[in-house]
Amino acid sequence: MKTLNIVERIEGEAKLVCNWEDEKITDAQIQFLNFRGFEYILKDKPALDALVYTPRICGICGQAHLKATAQALENIYESVNEPLYITDKAKLLREIGLNIEIIDSHIKWFYLFIMPDIAKLSKDEKYLKYEAIKGESWRKGTYAASESIKALAVFAGQWPHTSYMLPGGVMSDPTLFDIMTMQNYMDQTLHFIEKELIGDEIENYFNFNNISDFDSLNGALSDFIKLCLENDFHNLGKSYNSHIVLSKNYLFESGRIEIKNRQSVDLSLVKEEDINSFKMNEPRRDNEYTWAKTALYNDKPYETGPLSRALISNRKLIKNMHKEYNDSVLTRVMARMDELIYLVFITKKLIKQVDISQDSFIPPKLSLKDIGTATGISAVEAARGSLLHKVTLENSIIKNYDVITPSVWNLGPGINEKYGIAQKAIIGANSLEKAYIILRSFDVCSVCTTH
Amino acid sequence: MRQHKPKIVWLQAITCNGNTHSLLSSNPSRFELLLNSFNFFYHPSITTENSLEDVLNLKEIDFLLLEGAVTSNKQFYQISDNSINDLLKKVSKKAKYIISVGSCASYGGIHAKFEQNSDIKGLQDILNVWELKKLKQPIINLTGCPVHPEWILQTLFTLKEFGKIGLDMQGRPKDIYFGLAHHGCTRNEYFEWKIEAKSFGHKEGCLFYEEGCRGPMTHSNCNRILWNDVNTKTRAGMPCIGCTEFDFPRDNMLETKKNIGIPSEVPLGINKRAYLTITGVAKTFKIDRLNKKLIE
Repeated sequence: MKTLNIVERIEGEAKLVCNWEDEKITDAQIQFLNFRGFEYILKDKPALDALVYTPRICGICGQAHLKATAQALENIYESVNEPLYITDKAKLLREIGLNIEIIDSHIKWFYLFIMPDIAKLSKDEKYLKYEAIKGESWRKGTYAASESIKALAVFAGQWPHTSYMLPGGVMSDPTLFDIMTMQNYMDQTLHFIEKELIGDEIENYFNFNNISDFDSLNGALSDFIKLCLENDFHNLGKSYNSHIVLSKNYLFESGRIEIKNRQSVDLSLVKEEDINSFKMNEPRRDNEYTWAKTALYNDKPYETGPLSRALISNRKLIKNMHKEYNDSVLTRVMARMDELIYLVFITKKLIKQVDISQDSFIPPKLSLKDIGTATGISAVEAARGSLLHKVTLENSIIKNYDVITPSVWNLGPGINEKYGIAQKAIIGANSLEKAYIILRSFDVCSVCTTH
Repeated sequence: MRQHKPKIVWLQAITCNGNTHSLLSSNPSRFELLLNSFNFFYHPSITTENSLEDVLNLKEIDFLLLEGAVTSNKQFYQISDNSINDLLKKVSKKAKYIISVGSCASYGGIHAKFEQNSDIKGLQDILNVWELKKLKQPIINLTGCPVHPEWILQTLFTLKEFGKIGLDMQGRPKDIYFGLAHHGCTRNEYFEWKIEAKSFGHKEGCLFYEEGCRGPMTHSNCNRILWNDVNTKTRAGMPCIGCTEFDFPRDNMLETKKNIGIPSEVPLGINKRAYLTITGVAKTFKIDRLNKKLIE
């Protein structure tokens, strides 16, 4: 039997085509049929305009694209031996900005995209609070997200779609009271996380070793774990269990893991294939079914995202859960919430480290126009995983702009007999509702996937 | 008292979902009031109860909101197997009010720059208003990339309460777009006395002279209502890029185009020669206070 279904509520739309045998999915295709052509749009545009364009690739992870653009342009200066000096203040404000965006994204993803669906699988009335629009917890989640993002607007001017980072630093110059205000908003987020999400103080949470530590608690994570165990999500959603993180920051280490050994990454081994993907201006072949390409490292597929980051950075709770439940929906979603908790904690500390007496921006001595032809590359950790930008300029005009988004790693089609990451995770599911939840555990962003 | 709750249907076409996330970042108590006062019937990423099929079966929609640009080209874009244009032509006939949310839905915006698909437009360019029998007033364009959440809330609440709103020549609510982004900017005094920002990264100085700021030529009230309740781009140090106007995005948005050292575009409605005279006079004043750091 073959079924075809439209998947909504995934930041855009996808089609899921499944083959069924004995009430289990034996083969699946995830089709992204919409294409916006950002890499084509960016061609022949002035280099600095990319700071305005790339955040608009995605309305939820625009700061990740902005940081990737700023750093790719800075990498061009490095490539011609004229590296720019970026003050610690500017570096911190960029990382804090991106962290806040990830915090906002994680909260919304859990309350808007995960909990309403997983709660529906249970008849227990106590889970009605996670219902979309009406549910008390759903509303609290949106409330917390919009309060968190204010901390970013304080120094970035607004969110979404600000371009406050640029080669040489950042555009804003916050006061001490601005810093304090940012701290206050993060404290409110921390309070929400303790009260609503964990149901315990963060200091206690950092001592948790496995899911049994949530047994006596009454937070949303305890509800999530119960619902997962009731519906077999500790066994469902497993993929290759090979993980990649392309860049590092205060919380994340870069690297890749297959089975157990952590190894380093070399960006030159990342490539994008389009064997099963649609191509511009070419008639479609039978095997082509999606606009998403396939990202590979050294010719192999890897999962990217919060679970990969937790494993490579060796975060205890997730490491222990992973030993027991591997890369299941349960572990993947918990890794993301664990990341949220750590990010709020660490971002508060980073805010305090900002030395307002430093410069925000040091103008480059050399104009991009004077560099001639050069290529720059950058990788940043976005909410959904590793994001790569590669730009080639000719006298400061963009000749080529490649973007590999996290969702291309996770949601692109497989090639050469090998399934893509999410494709493999879906196979084995015994209902469409569960297949959707497995798909959502990767935080599907169709707009990023096809950009 | 139980009130009638008008039905909202929000559709997405070619978009980055930025307007959705702008709405989700609105003031929480205002957002709650919206959810309590309207029947949020359908949004592809927020609601769970109804499907697009249910939308197509509706007889009447009070408020049809569209996020994103439209195209008839199914090769690049479709919604549940329909071309965007076909779907919107069907659904728009049911609507009492149609609101294009954002510059993409209004004019095609950033997505219209994808030249390989030559058919990317704003919603108003594909609908035939004579066929829209239920429509109570012309299509409303809430331009901006993204839209400020308050613009959505104020428009919806005003239409619910008063039934009609005044629109400018471009179909935008006059209440939002009568003024300029410039109004309320904390850098206005620097603008008046022609003191330019030393570079990016400073609280001091106006971004109009070097950094490309379009505040004096862009219709919006960003600096009067503030984003995320706390700030705006120009207050923080990022130039206005004119995202509410039909010609967004332009080239070289982060620098000011000049002829012989003079900005080639001057503030809206001012004669260029008169502007240069005023500039000359203003620059003769040496105001210490404005040439120093604000906090020393």
